[in-house]
Amino acid sequence: MTVLKTSMRNFFAHKGRMALSAIAVLLSVAFVCGTLVFTDTMNTTFDKLFAATSPDVTVSPKSAEGPEEDPQGGKPESLPASVVEQVKRADGVKSAEGAVSSMNVTVVDSENENMGSTSGAPTIAGNWTQNDARTMEITEGHSPRGPTEVMVDADTADKHGLKLGDELRTISVNGDFTAKITGIASFKVTNPGAAVVYFDTPTAQKQLLGETGKFSQIAVAADAGVSHAQLKQNVASELGAGTYKLQTQQETADQNRKDVGEFMDIIKYAMLGFAGIAFLVGIFLIINTFSMLVAQRTREIGLMRAIGSSRKQVNRSVLVEATLLGVIGSILGVGAGVGLAIGLMELMSNMGMNLSTDDLTVKWTTPAIGLLLGIVVTVLAAYLPARRAGKVSPMAALRDAGTPADGKAGLLRALIGLVLTGAGVFALYTAATADKAGDGSMWLGGGVVLTLIGFVIVGPVLAGAVVRVISALVLRLFGPVGRMAERNALRNPRRTGATGAALMIGLALVACLSVVGSSMVASATDELDKSVGADFIIQGQQRIVPQAEKAIQNSPDLEHVTRYKVADATLTAPNGKSEKSQVTAADPTYATDLRRETTAGELEDAYAADSMSIGTEYAKDNGIKVGDTLTVAFKGGETAKIKVGAITNDDVTIDQGARYMSIATLEKYLPADRIPPNMIMFAKAADGKAEAAYAALKDTLKQYPQYEVRDQTDFKEELRSQIGQLLNMVYGLLALAIIVAVLGVVNTLALSVVERTREIGLMRAIGMSRRQLRRMIRLESVVIALFGALLGLGLGMGWGATAQRLLALEGLEVLEIPWPTIIGVFIASAFVGLLAALIPAFRAGRMNVLNAIATD
Amino acid sequence: MTTAVTTPGPGVTGGRTAVAARARQVVKAYGSGETRVVALDHVDVDIARGQFTAIMGPSGSGKSTLMHCLAGLDTVTSGQIHIDDTEITGLKDKKLTQLRRDRIGFIFQAFNLLPTLNAIENITLPMDIAGRKPDRQWLQRVVETVGLAERLKHRPNQLSGGQQQRVAVARALAARPEIIFGDEPTGNLDSRAGAEVLGFLRRSVDELGQTIVMVTHDPVAASYADRVLYLADGRIVDEMYHPTADQVLDRMKDFDARGRTS
Repeated sequence: MTVLKTSMRNFFAHKGRMALSAIAVLLSVAFVCGTLVFTDTMNTTFDKLFAATSPDVTVSPKSAEGPEEDPQGGKPESLPASVVEQVKRADGVKSAEGAVSSMNVTVVDSENENMGSTSGAPTIAGNWTQNDARTMEITEGHSPRGPTEVMVDADTADKHGLKLGDELRTISVNGDFTAKITGIASFKVTNPGAAVVYFDTPTAQKQLLGETGKFSQIAVAADAGVSHAQLKQNVASELGAGTYKLQTQQETADQNRKDVGEFMDIIKYAMLGFAGIAFLVGIFLIINTFSMLVAQRTREIGLMRAIGSSRKQVNRSVLVEATLLGVIGSILGVGAGVGLAIGLMELMSNMGMNLSTDDLTVKWTTPAIGLLLGIVVTVLAAYLPARRAGKVSPMAALRDAGTPADGKAGLLRALIGLVLTGAGVFALYTAATADKAGDGSMWLGGGVVLTLIGFVIVGPVLAGAVVRVISALVLRLFGPVGRMAERNALRNPRRTGATGAALMIGLALVACLSVVGSSMVASATDELDKSVGADFIIQGQQRIVPQAEKAIQNSPDLEHVTRYKVADATLTAPNGKSEKSQVTAADPTYATDLRRETTAGELEDAYAADSMSIGTEYAKDNGIKVGDTLTVAFKGGETAKIKVGAITNDDVTIDQGARYMSIATLEKYLPADRIPPNMIMFAKAADGKAEAAYAALKDTLKQYPQYEVRDQTDFKEELRSQIGQLLNMVYGLLALAIIVAVLGVVNTLALSVVERTREIGLMRAIGMSRRQLRRMIRLESVVIALFGALLGLGLGMGWGATAQRLLALEGLEVLEIPWPTIIGVFIASAFVGLLAALIPAFRAGRMNVLNAIATD
Repeated sequence: MTTAVTTPGPGVTGGRTAVAARARQVVKAYGSGETRVVALDHVDVDIARGQFTAIMGPSGSGKSTLMHCLAGLDTVTSGQIHIDDTEITGLKDKKLTQLRRDRIGFIFQAFNLLPTLNAIENITLPMDIAGRKPDRQWLQRVVETVGLAERLKHRPNQLSGGQQQRVAVARALAARPEIIFGDEPTGNLDSRAGAEVLGFLRRSVDELGQTIVMVTHDPVAASYADRVLYLADGRIVDEMYHPTADQVLDRMKDFDARGRTS
């Protein structure tokens, strides 16, 4: 009981010193809870949406694709309209309506602006049915009637300022089609971002499916009292088992949710990973705080021991304080987490997503996980300092401890750290020289963890040497003040080491990722330079529909245009082994657009009639030589005997393992409406007409804003900016860990200043000015920050280089160290150090000289 | 009652006034209203140049406060303090810091040295901070005087208490300040080490012409001084020239007795 009381008193007496630790716990817990709340909320939104939009039972063609897969022919699979009447005959059917729905469309306004979402949500076109009327309300105009009318959802109309009477052009594989907006309908549930347009049934059939008399699915509603499962059974027995795909509302919703859910899970675990890193960094901060509190309280603890407290009681009193800290930090963190989730939703809304806080989902597990994590981590971190407190001898009460004894970095520590680092380096070396990416990545992971732990342990030992070097280069400029800053940074290497290590972790990841990222750009650029002969590359989020293909082919000043289509097929090797795979059908000019080396045969021969090429690995695995014949069963088409004309080298990143054949061969075995639209297209300018051709292509594609044409320079630029964006996102998430680390620097300095009250007073008394004092503390901070940065950047570059060596197996051939980034981060670290010292330095300057030196 | 203990006449020592520090009507009060505590009550004092002055008095008499105010470490509520010709009351922190740095030396009871710096670095610290080069010859002489030549590279925690205080004395002397203030500089030392340190202080006055003001409650320490000032309840109540330890002790007993009967 007294233990608890002392702990409580201590805790609240020193709440200022605990504040930064509490913030560290708060931030980490908030990030975890925010992630959970955000992803749960997103799932709730989608659950509601899918539950609302799915009919009781859906009948669709057996070959229908999942919601995220592209149907081969570029339009949805369909079933005959007669099935609707058949379904109606089943028991318990209240109504059955044929529905048309396609996600393979692009909708543009009269200015050729894409109406689709920029956040990755699909554009959906369909016919207006009773099922849609359940979840949407027509707020303006009327439902579409006849071939020139279209209805659009209210969110899209709002976003793009669409009014009744505006024209919308719908681009599908069946051609372009312009209609006037005659209705606007709004969702009754939250629609996170899909753009939706409706036509009347015949128009939708013609435009989206290519012919009337067909539907992409049938929405069946149950009579009162008939369960969905029962209805499904009834419909199944009416239609005959196995003829069509039947799904209850639950099953449709689940199928839709699966993809969204997987995506949300990736986001969730990625963000939790970053939260984990922040926690790791926070541990250093907490360890430092408690170590310093225990050190400052040595006399007090000695007194308690002298008057009879047991080791265990002292130990426990520190842990009780840690628990208090954990509880307070976590509770605040859970609250902040909910706020963070709401903030994130706002941010998403600003980026064009439509989210509603009505769906805010806080499961009971969220605060439970947050609290548990926060408390357990805090108590674990405080365990070592608590043990040290227990070891304080009663004699400490008698000793005059002006400043706590300097913690020396021990030999044992150096040894353990070096052994671990050595093991880590060995693992990294093994990873870098691995033959198989799979084995290598295990070594890489092991190496990263071992070197990190090794560096953390050996950090205090390194602190001595590294701080001296940094000081020699930076601090000496500042004369005696710099020298004192150096001495202060060196006086407790364990503390400097732990503070620097916290910063090291975040920066190591930044350095590693920046090396991998720029190596990716460099490797891709290198490969583009080496192997791509085409001047222009045309691609988009959707496959290139025939009318766009024609327009591109007719664009002036082009020497040639290459079509590139990918079709599903089952390949059977002469040895009888079959595999479901894909073939790439392209125009023969592709052989010059992408220079592929062959290990056997000539690539041109692959484009001859009834010929193809295969990759080296596939050839080796199945013992196939040039001239052998494969059996290729085209999905939705015929099965053909195709001769192997060439075997390509697999040692590339673009089109690795692709099997090429001519489009003519594909067309021979696949019906016209099954020919897939182009995945990508290439073009080469006529001699000396590159600029004119590029401008003309851009002009041509104005009417098809879903596609972009880029020349090689722009393509590389785009690649660079995409990887840059990805990196920036990751850096943004790492910022949390770095912020916690910076708080750690602030914390260390602030506690040091308190600890050195008397020293500071002495220096002020003998004539150190406030400015000099503040500068001394700032310089100490800069040195600690630079120490962390140097270790982190070094470690991270090592990891990055290893990862590049390993990924060289996957085509990441070029190692590029992004020196501007690395140096920028290093310099920025110095500024971060300055920033971290702002408040501690200010407070040191304000310290009363007399308080510091008064003895009576 | 206001007491004035001032040296009459403007003596001249090496172009400077004979008074190294001067306090006039100095009041230092803490708090206000009912809780107001007066630590210094209209004190007038002159500190003679080239002399060793001791300030004595019981706990709470205001002796440390007087020293802090004279040394520019603490501010006064009213009154003026001059160091040589410079009035320090009313100086801004920056000027005051410079003054302490360039013209005043300090020796505290404990914790005189920075643990991160070795002995010689501690000694030259005030000059380093000021960005001045120490006078090599002088430094040599000071170091030899305090007998530290062998231990200049030692850190404070490798030195005994007496040695630490000697380093502090050397630091105070090294910059050739106009005046050195000591706050019970021997309070933490045994009598032998204390005698050593006091001996150095005495010698620095005699041989180097240094001005020293020392707060102490130890009659033996006070006996090293040329002049002893007695403080009680924030006022200077007596003074004594060329004291011996016994005289000082008697006077103290006297005060004590008077304090009890009054």
